[in-house]
Amino acid sequence: MFFKLDSFSLIGIEAVKVGVEIYISRGMPSFIIVGLPDKSINEARDRVKASIINSGFTFPMRKIIINLSPADLKKEGSFYDLPIALAILVSSGQINDNYFNCSCFIGELSLDGLINPVRGILSMAQKAASIKKNYFFVPKGNENVAGLIKNIKIIGCHDLIECIKILESKEELKKYVYISKKFNGVHSRRYDIDFSEVKGQSRAKRAMEIASSGFHNLLIVGPPGSGKTLLAQRAITIMPDLNYDESIEVTKIYGLLKRPNCELIIERPFRNPHHTISEPGLIGGGIYPKPGEISLAHKGILFLDEFSEFPSKLLESLRQPIENKSIVITRNNTSYKFPCSFMLILAMNPCFCGYFGDKNDKCKCSKKEVERYWKKISGPILDRIDMQVNLPRLKEEEFFGNILTETSHAIKERVKKAFAIQNDRYKNDIIRHNSEAGASYINIWMNQNKDLGKIVTDLSKKTQLTARGISSLIKISRTIADLDNSDEITRDHLIEAFQYKILSI
Amino acid sequence: MISEEINLKLLKLFFDFKLKPSDFMNIYKKIKDLKATADYFLKKKNKNSMLFDNDMYRPKNIHENLNSLIRYIDKNAISILNISCKEYPALLKEIYFPPPLLFCKGNNVSRNDNIKIAIVGTRDCSEYGKEVAAYLSAQLSKIGFTIVSGMAIGIDKIAHQEAIKEKGGSIGVLGTGIDIKYPYENKYLYEKIIENGGIITEFLPGIPPLKSNFPARNRIISGMSAGVIVIEAKEKSGALITARSAIKENREIFAIPGNIFSEKSKGCHALIKAGAKLTESVDDILVELENYIKNPLYSKSIDFNKIENNKIENNRNFKLGHSNNDKFESGFLNEKDAQFTDCGNLKKFPDEDYSKVYNCLGYRSKSLEEIMIGSGLDVKKTIQVITFFQLNNIVKEVNFNNFVKVGKI
Repeated sequence: MFFKLDSFSLIGIEAVKVGVEIYISRGMPSFIIVGLPDKSINEARDRVKASIINSGFTFPMRKIIINLSPADLKKEGSFYDLPIALAILVSSGQINDNYFNCSCFIGELSLDGLINPVRGILSMAQKAASIKKNYFFVPKGNENVAGLIKNIKIIGCHDLIECIKILESKEELKKYVYISKKFNGVHSRRYDIDFSEVKGQSRAKRAMEIASSGFHNLLIVGPPGSGKTLLAQRAITIMPDLNYDESIEVTKIYGLLKRPNCELIIERPFRNPHHTISEPGLIGGGIYPKPGEISLAHKGILFLDEFSEFPSKLLESLRQPIENKSIVITRNNTSYKFPCSFMLILAMNPCFCGYFGDKNDKCKCSKKEVERYWKKISGPILDRIDMQVNLPRLKEEEFFGNILTETSHAIKERVKKAFAIQNDRYKNDIIRHNSEAGASYINIWMNQNKDLGKIVTDLSKKTQLTARGISSLIKISRTIADLDNSDEITRDHLIEAFQYKILSI
Repeated sequence: MISEEINLKLLKLFFDFKLKPSDFMNIYKKIKDLKATADYFLKKKNKNSMLFDNDMYRPKNIHENLNSLIRYIDKNAISILNISCKEYPALLKEIYFPPPLLFCKGNNVSRNDNIKIAIVGTRDCSEYGKEVAAYLSAQLSKIGFTIVSGMAIGIDKIAHQEAIKEKGGSIGVLGTGIDIKYPYENKYLYEKIIENGGIITEFLPGIPPLKSNFPARNRIISGMSAGVIVIEAKEKSGALITARSAIKENREIFAIPGNIFSEKSKGCHALIKAGAKLTESVDDILVELENYIKNPLYSKSIDFNKIENNKIENNRNFKLGHSNNDKFESGFLNEKDAQFTDCGNLKKFPDEDYSKVYNCLGYRSKSLEEIMIGSGLDVKKTIQVITFFQLNNIVKEVNFNNFVKVGKI
């Protein structure tokens, strides 16, 4: 007897519909799964058999063939235990097939019939909604995340018996539909770190505020102990909370990790990989590609501390993701696309010994050595970094003095306003921040104030900025103007933006 | 083409027979005839003398044999000056051990009617050193002096750069073969200096930079110049070697005073203590070089009209790398924002905040926080004003976050 029900597979961040087909026939008792399954799917045979028997049903002693279609797509993961078990029970006549047409299923079975949570649930729920299914059966524990998707009824099942009970009648189905909680990003996370803890460094703080407001990349150069890491870690505390759509996007990416119980992520990610990270770790990869650190930092901050210690190959591989805001990984004839719109913060010492530019001539490096040190970082990478700021070692009186500094909350309010202005500006566009704006926007801004053209020409003549440098200069000044609540970029904004283009090394 | 037979003979001696230039010069001083000296050594070679095993001047030369060397010299328009020809720098002939052969490249390198003056200093120079080097080099070159220096980074590089823009031009003396670009970051300077001035070396083409060759180069720098200006030098510095050889050859030494706390002033101050001329202005240099200036041989190349307007008091505003003309370009400041003095300097600030910050700044460096407290402005405005000043070369960031006034308005 033939039967078919729908389930899902993951390609990168996107889910695709996979049909689980079953054919039970006479013959030597056997249980075969075809359709390019991986090891974990093949092992489903034993899990399914045990859980069917342990749930009080009988396992048919016939020839069972399971096909996962499309058959030429490689599949991995333990998603298909529940659909396979249900297919066996239906096609062996133990339960009826009332609501299977309008439903889809996902879940990993335990030997005792319990359904365990799986990963990638948000992508699958989205797909289920888009192919117009009514019910999506997910494991208990996954339903709160899946419930965020509109236009699909989510049913969280605890075990196989419960799942079958729910499928018996319409009343039961209605009873078990998960009612999602209202999304509120209001209860924003309180961080135990704060900007006011960083003394002095007004310029770097201002740079951090501007960078966070417009999602500009930032390079911090300073001697050891000047507070580079301290500042970078606190950048996350001044950024507005994620909105609903962003939360969904970030949760989708985190849902792909082997961490199935993940809740909706409402705080911006802050990723701080060590410099011994491998290329697949940073960019994403593997046999079945998983998102790397750059994707995990989506909508948040990727902080590369001790930037110069990273292997140059890794840094060069960052070039495209910085520009494109997404990364395409191609493996086994399939391309996997992960979003990676992150704000990059880089921190490094100015030279080998670390003290170049220190007021007390502490540096032991020769000029040659300093140059060699900077040569490690390629021009194309530096060109892609919008803002550069240096961080001096703190003076004693600044460290022990009681100069009041702003709290993260105060800065966050300003950044929020700048975010709101940008949201309004780009409401009809796919971009969200000034740093992503293209040439058309830059032209509009330049035309608003006729004087700008002349000033920009003068500035670029003086400092030999590249074309990319000039456009990022204008984008930074746009962000400064947004922080100022100004409609057009003025000369003052442009001049301030220029401060972050002249790194005095 | 290397037309002169004598040059070919000398090349053969130094390249093929590995003759030491000093041995050559010892005999030349006695015989006083170049051709006869060359013949003397060519004859002596047959007797297998110990004189001919000097590897110092041609270690691992990239040119395989004499013919390929000659071809190379012809192809690259390298001219050869021997000690007896009249293009050979006149002052250099007089030193204790002048090089018998000079390889040179450039337009004005073989001129002998100009006064040459050397500007030397440390590679690892301070902002102050850079400013002084640029100022003196540009001013002296405007008058008509040719600036001689060692093509190194730091003071040397700035002295060359400023001089080649002006009338006098500049000559770079190398411590390597003429075809070796060392240090490599000066590669653009090599191309530019040939257009207004030139490069000169006593070493055969292909000789790599060797530690021992640089003091020898320094004697040529001081030897061909009427005076040596030492701008910044540490206690043990190549610039001091140049100064010492200048003393030996009875050249004028000009030392620029500096900060007493700075390592980089120690060498100059030691020179002043030992009797070098403390130099504050171009006038200080001109007074000491009176003999040369009055000499009819040189007077044609000197144009004193230039100097009248360039007293140092009026010229404190001289900015590194920018001549006064392009300091404020049209679009950067509007007419209504600023008023300009005759020489193009800013007289009035766009608004009050600018003068607040300006009054706060001094020649002692201040951090941004200190300026913020002093002017009472917020960080946004302070950064903006400071950047404005930086762009107009009024303020410089000397170390991280330490701002210092460099120009006067």
